[in-house]
Amino acid sequence: MQSQTISSYQTPSGQRVEILKQSFPSLRKRPVKKVAFVSGLHGNELEGVYICHLLTKHLSELQRTQPEAFQGEIHIYPTVNPQATAIGTRLWPFLSIDYNRQFGGPDGNSLASKCAQELLNDLKSSADIVIDFHASNLHLKETPQIRITEGFHKKLIPLGVHCNTDLIWVHPSLPMFKSTLGYNMNQSKIPTLVIETGIALRINQNFSNRILLGMLNLLYQVGVIVTNNPPAPVKRPIIVQPSQVIQVHSKHAGLFVGHTDIKKKIAAGEVIGEVVDAQNGQTLQEVTAAESGFLFTIREHPLVYPGALLGRIAKIT
Amino acid sequence: MKETILSIQSPLGPPTELVQFTWEGVQPKNTISIVSGIQGNHQNGIYLCSRLVRFLNSVESGKEPGYYLKGVIKIIPTTNLSAIQEGKGLWSFHDLDMNLAFPGNDQGEVPEQIAATVYRQTKDSQFGIILQSGNTHYNDAPHLLCLNPDGLAKNFARSLAIKNAREPKISSTFRLCLYGQWVDQMITSVILSAGKPNHLDISLCETILPGLINSLLWSEVLGNDQKKPIKYQLKFNRQSNEQFVISNAGGFFMPIVKLGSEVTKGQKIGEIVDIHSNTTLESILSSSSGYLVTLRNHPMVYQRELLAILLGKPKFPFWPIK
Ligand SMILES: [Zn+2]
Repeated sequence: MQSQTISSYQTPSGQRVEILKQSFPSLRKRPVKKVAFVSGLHGNELEGVYICHLLTKHLSELQRTQPEAFQGEIHIYPTVNPQATAIGTRLWPFLSIDYNRQFGGPDGNSLASKCAQELLNDLKSSADIVIDFHASNLHLKETPQIRITEGFHKKLIPLGVHCNTDLIWVHPSLPMFKSTLGYNMNQSKIPTLVIETGIALRINQNFSNRILLGMLNLLYQVGVIVTNNPPAPVKRPIIVQPSQVIQVHSKHAGLFVGHTDIKKKIAAGEVIGEVVDAQNGQTLQEVTAAESGFLFTIREHPLVYPGALLGRIAKIT
Repeated sequence: MKETILSIQSPLGPPTELVQFTWEGVQPKNTISIVSGIQGNHQNGIYLCSRLVRFLNSVESGKEPGYYLKGVIKIIPTTNLSAIQEGKGLWSFHDLDMNLAFPGNDQGEVPEQIAATVYRQTKDSQFGIILQSGNTHYNDAPHLLCLNPDGLAKNFARSLAIKNAREPKISSTFRLCLYGQWVDQMITSVILSAGKPNHLDISLCETILPGLINSLLWSEVLGNDQKKPIKYQLKFNRQSNEQFVISNAGGFFMPIVKLGSEVTKGQKIGEIVDIHSNTTLESILSSSSGYLVTLRNHPMVYQRELLAILLGKPKFPFWPIK
C-alpha cells in the first residue's frame, strides 16, 4: 500500500493537515480499472471511515498473500475532511461550510473550496469508478442504500447491484445536488455511487460488514481483484423509483419515540412510532405506515418540529 | 403593519416565528422587498431594517415632513430567527445554511419552510434588497452585489449611495440562495453587504440608511413632495478585475491597511506572525493596486486562506475587441 498526500495546509499554529490517499497499485502495467473509495466529506459520518478501515485491512492482507489478485488499481481516501472528522462535526470546522456543497462551481476563495477542487482533480485522474460513502445526518438512520440521481441511473444501476445494499433509490435531480462530489464526478462521466448507510456519529458493524462484502464483490465483478476464491454472492437490491418513496412527516412539535427499527416489510397501518408532547403527557400523533413496503429510513433524533422527517417507506410493487 | 407570516411550534419553548412589516400607499404600483437575517449573526442588516421600520412607521403617521407612502414596502428582518437567538450564522439543529435552502419547501424541515415563506412573500416584487454582512471571519466595506445589471438595475443600484458594486460568483449553489431565486424571477435586486458577522456597527448603519431611503424614493414606493431621488456615482467592478490576497503561512494575521481604502501595488497589507514566537512568517504585499473591499477579520488564519479582496482598475479602458 502506498500513501500520498493530495492536499495539505498549515493550521494557525503551524501544524500541517494532510488529506491522504492510500493506494493499492495494479500488478499490470495497464490496470484493468481504477476504483476509488471516498469517505468523510461530512466529518460526523463515521460509518464510511470504518468501511475504509475494513477495506484497507482486507486489501493489505490480500496484497501480502495474493499479490497477483490486483489486476486493477484501488485508491482509498478515508478522511477527506480530516479536521471535521477529528471532532465529529458535519461542517468544515472554522468556516461552518458544507464540504459536499463545494464542488462544481468556479474556483472559490475558501480553503474548503480549494481542497474540494484538488479532491475532484485527483479523483478524475485516479479513478474510473468512485464510491462516496455517507452516513445519514444526526436525525435519521438509513438502511444501506445507494442514491442515484435520475439521468445517471442507466450507467450506475448495473454497478450498484453488486454492492450488497438493501436498495437503490433513484431520485429526481434537485438543484442542491449540483454542488456535490457525486454529481460532479458523474457529470464528468466517471461513474460514482453514493452510498448512505447508518447514522452520523455511530458505527453499525452489521451494515459496515455488509458494505465491505459489497465493495469486495464490486472489485471482483469489475475485474480489479481476481482471486481463486471469489467473494460470497451478494443480495440483489430493490430498485426504487421516485414515485415509490413515501415520506412520513411529523405534524406536531414534540418528542418522536420510535416503535420500530428499519423494517423490510411494514404493513399499511402499522405503528412506526408516536410524537408526544414534551410537557403535558399527551400523545400528539400516532405515526403509522401509510402504505405497506420497506421502511428504509427511521428517525432516531427525538426532537421534532412540524414537518420533520420521521421515516421513508419504499412501496414494493 | 407587523404580521407573523409563519409560526412553527417548537418541542419546547416559544415557536419559531417569521415576521414581516408591510406598508402600502394609496394606489400602489411597485413593490419592494427588503430581507435580512438570513445568516443569524449578520446584525447590521437586522439593525438597518429596524431603523427603516421606525422611519416608515413615522412616515405612515405623518411625522416625516414631505414623505408619503406610494407603493408596497415589505421588510422581513429576522429570517433565520432560530440562528439569531442561538447567536450563530446557521441554526445548529439542522446545520443547514439558509442560503442553501431556497426556494424552500412548505412541507419540509424548519429552514425549508422559512425559505418557502420568504420566497413566496417576495417573489412578485419589482425590487429587492438583501442586507448582509461579510462572510464568516471577513469584514466588508459597504458594497453591492448584482448580477448582469440592466439599465434599470444599474439605476436602482445607484440610488443606494454605495460606491462599489461587484458581480456575485455563480457557484453551483447560486440558485439555492434567495438572491439567485430573485434573479430567476427577474426581480431588480441587489445584495448590500457591509461590516462583519457577530458585530453591530451602528455608525456604519447610519451612513447606509439615507441611501436605503433614497432607493425607496427611486423605486417609487415612497414619495416626497420636496425631494427627488438622487442618482449617486457607483463603480461596477468586473470579477476579472478582482485580486485575491492569499496567505502562504498559518498564524496571526496583522493587517496594517484600512478597509475601504485604496491600496497601491507593492504596498504592505500586513503580516502573518507565528502564534507562539511572534516572529514574522510572511509579509503580505499587494500585487496590484485597488480598492480594499474585503479584509480578513478573524486574526487566526490557516495557510491558503483569503486575506483580502481588492477591486482593481480594468485592464482595458474599453471592452477588448475579439
Ligand atoms: Zn454525508
